[in-house]
Amino acid sequence: MFAAFLLSTLLSFSTPSDTITDYYDVETIATPPGLVAETGGLTFLPDGRLAACFHRGEIMLYNPKTKTWKLFAEGLHDPLGILAVSNQELLVMQRPELTRITDTNGDGVADRYETVTDHFGMSGNYHEFAFGPVRDAKGNIYISLNTASNGAGIRDEVRGKYDPLGRQGRMYACVPYRGWVMQITPDGTVKPFASGFRSPNGIGFDAKGRLFVTDNQGDWLGTSKLYHVEEGKFYGHPASLVWRDGFPDIDPLTLPVHTLDSMRTVESVAFPHELIAHSPTQLVTDNTGGKFGPFAGQMFVGEMDFSRLIRILPDEVDGQIQGACIPFYDHAGGKNPLRIGNNRLAFSPDGSLWLGQADHGWLGDRGIQRIRYKGGVPLDILSMKLTPTGFDVTFTQPLDESAARDLANYQCRSYYYEYHQAYGSPQKDVRSVSVSDVTLSTDRKTVSLTLNDLKINRIYELKLGNLLANNGRQKLANHAVFYTLNRLVK
Amino acid sequence: MDRFLLFAGLFLTTLQAIAQRDTLITISASGGLQFDQKRLVLKPNTRLRLVFQNKDDMAHNLVITRPNSRLRVVEFALALGAKGPTQHHVPMMDDVLAHTSSVEPGGKDSLTVTLTEGAFPFVCTYPGHGSIMYGIIYATNTPKLLPSPETDRNIPNPERTTEAAHHHTAESGHPYPLQLPAVYRTFMPDCGPAAIAVGLPAPTGGESYVFDAGQCRLRYAWSGGFVDNTEQWDGKGQRFTKVVGEIYFRDTGGFPWKVGANQPDAPQFKGYRLINRYPEFRYVVNGVEIRELIKPLPTGRGLIRTFTIAPTKQSVTFLATAQPGIRFKPSVGRLQHGEVKLPVGTRQFTMTVSTQ
Repeated sequence: MFAAFLLSTLLSFSTPSDTITDYYDVETIATPPGLVAETGGLTFLPDGRLAACFHRGEIMLYNPKTKTWKLFAEGLHDPLGILAVSNQELLVMQRPELTRITDTNGDGVADRYETVTDHFGMSGNYHEFAFGPVRDAKGNIYISLNTASNGAGIRDEVRGKYDPLGRQGRMYACVPYRGWVMQITPDGTVKPFASGFRSPNGIGFDAKGRLFVTDNQGDWLGTSKLYHVEEGKFYGHPASLVWRDGFPDIDPLTLPVHTLDSMRTVESVAFPHELIAHSPTQLVTDNTGGKFGPFAGQMFVGEMDFSRLIRILPDEVDGQIQGACIPFYDHAGGKNPLRIGNNRLAFSPDGSLWLGQADHGWLGDRGIQRIRYKGGVPLDILSMKLTPTGFDVTFTQPLDESAARDLANYQCRSYYYEYHQAYGSPQKDVRSVSVSDVTLSTDRKTVSLTLNDLKINRIYELKLGNLLANNGRQKLANHAVFYTLNRLVK
Repeated sequence: MDRFLLFAGLFLTTLQAIAQRDTLITISASGGLQFDQKRLVLKPNTRLRLVFQNKDDMAHNLVITRPNSRLRVVEFALALGAKGPTQHHVPMMDDVLAHTSSVEPGGKDSLTVTLTEGAFPFVCTYPGHGSIMYGIIYATNTPKLLPSPETDRNIPNPERTTEAAHHHTAESGHPYPLQLPAVYRTFMPDCGPAAIAVGLPAPTGGESYVFDAGQCRLRYAWSGGFVDNTEQWDGKGQRFTKVVGEIYFRDTGGFPWKVGANQPDAPQFKGYRLINRYPEFRYVVNGVEIRELIKPLPTGRGLIRTFTIAPTKQSVTFLATAQPGIRFKPSVGRLQHGEVKLPVGTRQFTMTVSTQ
């Protein structure tokens, strides 16, 4: 922490004025004395109060106007997600079940804990975390279930059917629906929805209501990923396959890698390991209509190990979602630096982005902070779209011409991460990709880059030089952006 | 004779101090950003082969630095930024005496280094790890002069850091005092993984029990206290909550109800409501909803289990497995051959479990 502070101090001295802290700031929310604020979930009630759940099982309500906390519920088992239904009712995802928690007598404290679903197994392994819930426009609820880790064993007694074929491998699924996203329809039907996840700690929707899930680098994940999740699909981590209807009675790890590879749906956006994320967390869509700045409609993703968030720049090719990721508020420092361990994100009605922090035995800070938009438009990348010959990169501000037209300001390389059983992957087949041409749009906001080498199933890492706006008064906030190219534009 | 031995001993010691020794030590990363050994003591000029085993679920390295250089090396490692991964997060500087490569979970690497006299820190220089994941190697001929491990500032002291982080934490571990009755859903020993520990106020200092939400049944009860969550709350939540008190009753049978003549479905847990903080559990078996509210005996160890049964035309039988030292007393019907056949239409039924 001291080192991070030192680094951010160094950065703030070496960076010229015009930094992201001119447009956003961070406020730390005081939590009650005695609370170990390992934050598992954040949600805003219709009346504007924040509901937060914590590792030791508390749910507390915070009134941002009076800055006071009040206990709402207690005794939950490692709750890692929360969703407000009304001012009296919450849905909470705890280890053993999805629970509807209600204050039925209006005394401000929950008195009814109803099981919405516990139709999934538990082996007692610590890594069987449960995430969500999120709810779509039709009222369907989605939760995601972590696989178990061979860092520890299982209990003598498990809940649900035990399948030894799912017990193999580094992260395993020996009880039902570990590594799955589950759907609960409004009539209460529980449906295994999609499989192939390892540690799906982030679940949410984009601006069009499409379901997305983040997953964490490890076995079968060369790097961390963002998936567009659709019913019936398999996303690559094999352990969960044992719980797929009609899957043969075999250990999925005995299937050849190319077979598994042909079965899986690849990620929409890869988060290059270390460069963007170590451990991506929840995703939220900026639904503030501009109250949070110029990125309305875009997805933000949390990250455990770095003082930054991740912003998604979506693209669509042939009806398939792919796109880029870029840091947001990256090691910005400032008077009140953004801490690490940003496990949960929620936009408040006032348009600020609240961050629930946790370490959970790994790296991370604890507590709650919020990022507020102060005004102005930072110079940053607004979108990145694939073209038949390269990329169109659009900025938030018209660019100063000379730097924008200078080819030396655009460096590109491409690589991929291996899909294999081993833990993580180095960058493979790293190639320098020459940028042969740049043109600037008439509004000076979009540069069209021509690249000599566009291939599928690779990440294109574009490094930008000192692009400027407003006659040099504004400097580019982020200099690297990472595009996951799954399909070419024909 | 004594004098001769003393002389020989001195001679040998002197020899050893000059000759180089070889030693092999294995250090593991074992989760919670910790090395399993945080303090090693060697003779000076020992050639140390150090094997680093990564038993954690994230990548680490192990770097040995010059004395008093740990923080400096950690800062330089952090400043590597995007170049970090290709260098295994190890900065190129004289302060680094030896290092392993990045070791992925389950992997190992080793290093060899000869240490002169002094205190040599070792540390994981992955971003963020260096401030808590470290230890010290003392190369000394006078180990008796070292500070005790409790006061040693060269090793991370969990109590010291915990104290700094949570000096406000109330005794309960919550921002409020623990108030009985209290409910904890947690991992309990001798129960399925969906366990609910409940502590009730009683003259005995607390009458407590575990309800298994997976099997919809009481598993065991204890007297004289409630639970200790320290280990369960620590880290990733693998370890059990501990029972505080003495277990006097274990239900050695299975699900306690037979509803209808057919083979019963698995019961479905439906949750609970709190009545003056006492949980009343709700579950459904063969289409019949049953609620269970457990209260302590007014005196002595024991529980009063009150069941409320939804209207049904099916026969309803309560099952209780006899055990020495435990007395079951049903409010209606008779306990015969481990069964209480409830009269048709029974809506409420209590079973008192006591040790008399």
